[in-house]
Amino acid sequence: MSLLRQFCSKLAPILVNNSVRSTQNVSAAITTNRFFSNKPAPYEIVDPKIEKQEQQDIIKKVNEQVNANQQGRIFAVVHLAGKQFKITEGDVIVVEGYWPPGPGDKLKLDKVLMVGAKDFTLIGRPIVEDGLANVTATVIEKTLSHTKTDFKKKRRKQYKNINFYRIQQTMLRINTIDLSGKLNNPPDVTGTEHRIL
Amino acid sequence: MVFTTAVNFIRSRGPDEFWRKRKIFKLAAHFQGRKRNCYSITIRYVHRALVYATKGRKLKKVDMANLWEQRILSGCEQHGVTYPLFKESLSRSGVMLNRKTLADLACWEPQSFKALTDIAQARAAQDGLNVSKSLEPPSGVVTRGMIK
Repeated sequence: MSLLRQFCSKLAPILVNNSVRSTQNVSAAITTNRFFSNKPAPYEIVDPKIEKQEQQDIIKKVNEQVNANQQGRIFAVVHLAGKQFKITEGDVIVVEGYWPPGPGDKLKLDKVLMVGAKDFTLIGRPIVEDGLANVTATVIEKTLSHTKTDFKKKRRKQYKNINFYRIQQTMLRINTIDLSGKLNNPPDVTGTEHRIL
Repeated sequence: MVFTTAVNFIRSRGPDEFWRKRKIFKLAAHFQGRKRNCYSITIRYVHRALVYATKGRKLKKVDMANLWEQRILSGCEQHGVTYPLFKESLSRSGVMLNRKTLADLACWEPQSFKALTDIAQARAAQDGLNVSKSLEPPSGVVTRGMIK
């Protein structure tokens, strides 16, 4: 799974400069709109070698920062029990409704949609590469919410209905968020990680 | 207890009046004036409050959704992308962040949100989407071979 990268203010000006690219604007040739339902995008001819170099430079900078452990505090967006949570280390998140894991269970959250650090953000399409980000969590408590009153009443219609209910809640402590794998280094074969062969 | 007549038996059914009323008065402890002291008035307002609470639980979800949309909209406007274009481009790029998360990012992770709008702009320019504003692909986003 490939990743989109975008460097934030600190690194972007150094890395990418449009004037450095050997581009040639040919948009003048396609000004007519007759045969397209949408406006054709003006395109530019880019040297693939230079572009590849730019990509590798960005990836290298991220890898260097991660290896030197200078990325700072990391946040991640995970998909868990049908909801998305933006989390960082030490957070407690609440999963509502029926959810099987019990107290003390240690979990690895696999569906990581986004990882962000001080100078870079990794955006998954829709999730980041398997094994790149390592998010672990522990179930610390299973409990019920406070009692909620469901009261319905219609005036002058002799209709009144009252119910009480509580929702199951699971508290989850986020233990670690690491960037363990190497960026843009996908395995040759994917899809077999969770299979017993 | 001994009931000499059927009338007395019917009158003494159920929980004691004091405790039955106390349950209601407890819910009305924060009301003002006679709404908290006189039972016949209290019960009316407690019922009304409980109905509001039940309805409000649904409305809260609607309100939150509106708030998220507004936050994303503001973030988009800041970077010169329209909201529909932003959503369309992101889904075309396979970015499946929901509105709650996007709103969180717009609030608390401005740099990451800008990255998303940049990607959306680049994608829109690449696909030639109909956009009212003229969009130049932002510098710093390498799209070729990556957004497909």
